[in-house]
Amino acid sequence: MIPSTLLSHLESIIGLTGLLTAPEDLMVYSYDATLTEHQPDVVLLPRTTQQISDILRLAGESGTPVVPRGAGTGLSGGSVPVAGGIALSLTRMRDILEIDVQNLTARVQPGVVNADFQAALAPLGLFYPPDPASMKACTLGGNVAMGAGGPRCLKYGGTKDYVLGLEVVLADGEVVHTGGRTVKNTTGYDLTHLFVGSEGTLGVITEITLRLLPQPEAKRTMLAIFDELDDASRTVSAIVAEGILPTTLEMMDNLLIQCAEDFTGAGLPRDAAAILLIEVDGFEEALDRQVATVQQVCGAQGVREVRIATTVKEVDDLWLARRTIIGAVARRRPSMVLQDVTVPPSYLPEMVARVVDIGREYKLPIGVLAHAGDGNLHPLILFDQRDGEEMAREREAEAAIFAASLELKGTLTGEHGIGLTKRKYLPQALSPREMELTRGLKALLDPHGILNPGKIVGGDGEGPA
Amino acid sequence: MKGPLDIYNEDIVRCNKCGFCQATCPVYQVRRDEALAPRGLLRLIRALGDGELSPSEGYAQRIYRCSLCGVCAPTCPSGVEVDGILQAARDDLAARGQLPPALQELGRTVQASHHLLEDAAEAPLAWAEGLPRPSGGVGARVDLVYFVGCVASAFPEAQSIPRAFVQVLERAGRRYSLLAGEEWCCGYPLIVNGQRGEARELMAHNLEAVRSFGAERVAFTCPSCYHVWAHIYPQELGDLGLEVLHATQLLTELVASEELAMRPLPRRVTFHDPCDLGRRSGIYDAPRQVLAAIPELTLVEMAESRANGFCCGGGGNLEVLDPELSQAVAERRLTQAQATGAHLLVTACGRCKRSLDAAAHRKGVPMEVLDIVELVEKVLDNGA
Repeated sequence: MIPSTLLSHLESIIGLTGLLTAPEDLMVYSYDATLTEHQPDVVLLPRTTQQISDILRLAGESGTPVVPRGAGTGLSGGSVPVAGGIALSLTRMRDILEIDVQNLTARVQPGVVNADFQAALAPLGLFYPPDPASMKACTLGGNVAMGAGGPRCLKYGGTKDYVLGLEVVLADGEVVHTGGRTVKNTTGYDLTHLFVGSEGTLGVITEITLRLLPQPEAKRTMLAIFDELDDASRTVSAIVAEGILPTTLEMMDNLLIQCAEDFTGAGLPRDAAAILLIEVDGFEEALDRQVATVQQVCGAQGVREVRIATTVKEVDDLWLARRTIIGAVARRRPSMVLQDVTVPPSYLPEMVARVVDIGREYKLPIGVLAHAGDGNLHPLILFDQRDGEEMAREREAEAAIFAASLELKGTLTGEHGIGLTKRKYLPQALSPREMELTRGLKALLDPHGILNPGKIVGGDGEGPA
Repeated sequence: MKGPLDIYNEDIVRCNKCGFCQATCPVYQVRRDEALAPRGLLRLIRALGDGELSPSEGYAQRIYRCSLCGVCAPTCPSGVEVDGILQAARDDLAARGQLPPALQELGRTVQASHHLLEDAAEAPLAWAEGLPRPSGGVGARVDLVYFVGCVASAFPEAQSIPRAFVQVLERAGRRYSLLAGEEWCCGYPLIVNGQRGEARELMAHNLEAVRSFGAERVAFTCPSCYHVWAHIYPQELGDLGLEVLHATQLLTELVASEELAMRPLPRRVTFHDPCDLGRRSGIYDAPRQVLAAIPELTLVEMAESRANGFCCGGGGNLEVLDPELSQAVAERRLTQAQATGAHLLVTACGRCKRSLDAAAHRKGVPMEVLDIVELVEKVLDNGA
């Protein structure tokens, strides 16, 4: 509970319309896109950096937890206020402050929606590569805080590769500016990237300077259809080994093809064991050769058919099917957990095979979805959260997937973050010394542990930071 | 006893909170508050069912802060029938006697006066002042009845719509009649309040009135009246034995049979899909065909059009409950219209016209807003 004096101070900072305490409001700020829920004590919707600075100063003085959030589309529980306190929604800070066409950079507020930003860049012939599936809803601030990725990361890299500078409000309310506006910058420690992917545990990001790229001249989108899942995953490794770097190389297995087709009717082959959605981009003249090489590699791995999308609508339909799949699986079972394990691409066939085995062992349907080209898998475990026994099996399957990834030289998460859901596995991925360093950084920047407590390290079960 | 929400129990659980609905919901887009987004509303509705929340005033205030535009449903990857659930949540609240006071008042007015506005019920043909009498007469037996609707008959800024429509009918030589004082509210305001049962008397009266004219067709310039007649009347009253058509459908008929000659209009125009005409009734092509028949007119679509059309903010009785929110939604739609470079925004709904026109005035934006029948009337070639 937050004392009423603190509430009235907060209200004087933020005004009447930016402070919510009704039970209905606390309920809808208690979750992200995972199953975890915990209510905050108050929801604040600030509009300025100054307000956030004032809020953090007050929170620090009173030891009140502050949990920043964007659109709440996260997939690791990162924005769930597990210790109560303040849910700090940054969605109303939604201005694109500057698009610098000469220097290929932009300054944005954290509440700008990824797709709105893309839409503003497109007429200028520019783009911002990170394209999480939730891009129409998720915010750039959330993307930076969680280190979001997306299909295009295969060729272009993830959010961290595009953040040049940040304005951050520190735990004591002080505002700092890290990095700058240049792609090259080796001035001291890289504080900017300390905050990228820090999940709101080290500071509140209030302004972001991003690097932009010119749009590629042309692209080609292909759909490769396989009768064996294993052939599809071997094709992925083979394409990467061939030295081609497609823009995207996405994999979906039969279960997910069915779900996607139920929602979109995009014309995916319901009888296929797996499909690969492959896109190449670049100069028009270079694309035919890339397409030919991809076709050749697919052919050598026993592909049934490679279709090349010929209209904008065909391309859009394929991507709609891919981007909405996480929601669309809910048509099959009421509950879903999505993993984000990532292995080096050459280990992908082995990892996919292990996921299939784990599904069999724990008797759970697991859909295999992957940004396959960069080895980033999203196994979707389907179950019913109302069934306690099934829920227990889901937990075990989850642990087995993490163990397999680490064994295959992979990571716990490629682009969703540790948040709550992977926290207990962190010591399996990091050495004791790395854990200690991580805690040390947290203690340095957030000595009183008010910033998103309970995430990554610190808080319950971790002992004092 | 089964409540209105019971049939949706499984559907509500299926929402896996992906948040994609926030990308399209007009209310969330302007407020950026998750309590007003479909995902949030579904969570509250689930909580009501689980007993975590009571049907408090706070709950009702949130449920009704929605224009029922329905764009959330096609956006939902999980296939949750969000629009049906949001209507059922209203039915449930109304049955519990928990309508917000402003909507309670609206419901009382409609039930008592049989009109959206009490005063307007007294002068049902005020909009037609100075026009020649309808070719088919008022209250006379004729094939086609024009059901004017409360918005167009009562609000001065929308009255030009029925005026234009009847002139177009006259020009095309179509005989039609009006119900005048026998035209009651179609029932839409009660239905979206959640008071469908209370709307039944209005529906039965209107159907009987049209039948008594011996009419075979009934036409509407208001897409909400049209939607209610086309989809809800048959559910409540059985087969109507009538052809129900929106003005845009009748206009395409007139255009196709060359009953209307239209002069060139060399202008860039954008079209706003009314939610009740588009998403609720699936009529996207008819208005576009009419626009295409106007020589030299260039139609430029807005970023969100047809099934993805962004609401004007006027639906779902939102304007009555929260005018400021309704206006903010309209202003956002206006911005989308401006982005097309057009200075003429055409729609096919008196309510959309009012919302968008008022937004243009407030913002001082040089955007002319017309209903499609007004536009057609203005470009009729008078052979001079």
